[in-house]
Amino acid sequence: MRIAVAGGKTKADYLIRMLLSKGHELVVINDDREYCTYLCQTHRIPVIHGDPCKLYVMDEAGIDGFDIMIALKPSDADNLAICQTAKRIYHIRKTVAVVGNPKSVDIFKRLGVSTAISATYMIAGYIEQMSTVESLVNSLPLDQGNIVINELMINQNSPVAGRKLCDMELGEDAIICCIVRGSKIIVPKGQTGIQANDKLLVLSTPDSQNRVIGLIMGREQA
Amino acid sequence: MWNRKKTIIIAGCSRFGAGLAGELSEHGDDVIIIDKDNDAFRKLPPNFSGFQIVGNVTDPDLLEDAGIGNASVVVAATDDDNINCMLAQMARRIYDVGEVFARLNDTDKEHLIGGLNIKAIYPARLSIEKFKELSSIAF
Repeated sequence: MRIAVAGGKTKADYLIRMLLSKGHELVVINDDREYCTYLCQTHRIPVIHGDPCKLYVMDEAGIDGFDIMIALKPSDADNLAICQTAKRIYHIRKTVAVVGNPKSVDIFKRLGVSTAISATYMIAGYIEQMSTVESLVNSLPLDQGNIVINELMINQNSPVAGRKLCDMELGEDAIICCIVRGSKIIVPKGQTGIQANDKLLVLSTPDSQNRVIGLIMGREQA
Repeated sequence: MWNRKKTIIIAGCSRFGAGLAGELSEHGDDVIIIDKDNDAFRKLPPNFSGFQIVGNVTDPDLLEDAGIGNASVVVAATDDDNINCMLAQMARRIYDVGEVFARLNDTDKEHLIGGLNIKAIYPARLSIEKFKELSSIAF
């Protein structure tokens, strides 16, 4: 696809690398002269030096009919202007903007930008999702994140309540290392059964964490 | 002639915004002026009787608190064309404000506010008109 990237610094850099590695055709517009020089030297792509918000700069970029415009400037209003100009004047149908204010996400959609992305918005959504199971799941990374220990509260609705350890298919990357039942600590063996109101301590790798929690708690975690 | 008092929101306490705020307030309308910098309000005339709000003029929460739902007029008077365009569009498309004005330094921005009945004010053009009026050059 032919993609235009306007503005941004570090974000733009990572994005450009990723997009180039997937074989997309890029044009970059940026008002930082040093950064433009760096980009020219690092990747072999057309780089236009100038403020992407200005029409005469966009004209130079030759982006008419491109597939996607990505606006990464720090100001929401600037990114809106870039995306709308891309759509109306250069016939770029898909526009993506990064926004600081999470409220801008909806506003941008209503004003014609295909997608607006706010880190705050996404983090808030994630936390909200997590907080609905907060009382049931706690996790702690150990060994620099190579292992995660999960504390899972079992209730009667969970699929493992009433089952034995040997009947559960946790896979190779996870193990239930401890069951806390009331005031008792149980180191479980194959024949140990799990009861409602047990607290399980489960060791897993970060990659298998979601699957294991889903298996034990009965729902997919985000 | 029945002149109802209007609620007017002015975004940006620039010289234009401040001057306008002063005159409208004297005229008897309810004026709310917003700027991200508290010091900007020093430009307001001493007898200004409206409200001053410090904040980001494109923040919907702030606009709703300022009463954009009841405003009959919104004037986008900041120094940043893009902010003025964004606010003007929000005022028309999302809050359905009756009269929306945008001050734009760059005439190329016209396409951003097209089709929405936003009244644009171009200081550069007005200055040229005034020059023509004042100068002895026959145009």
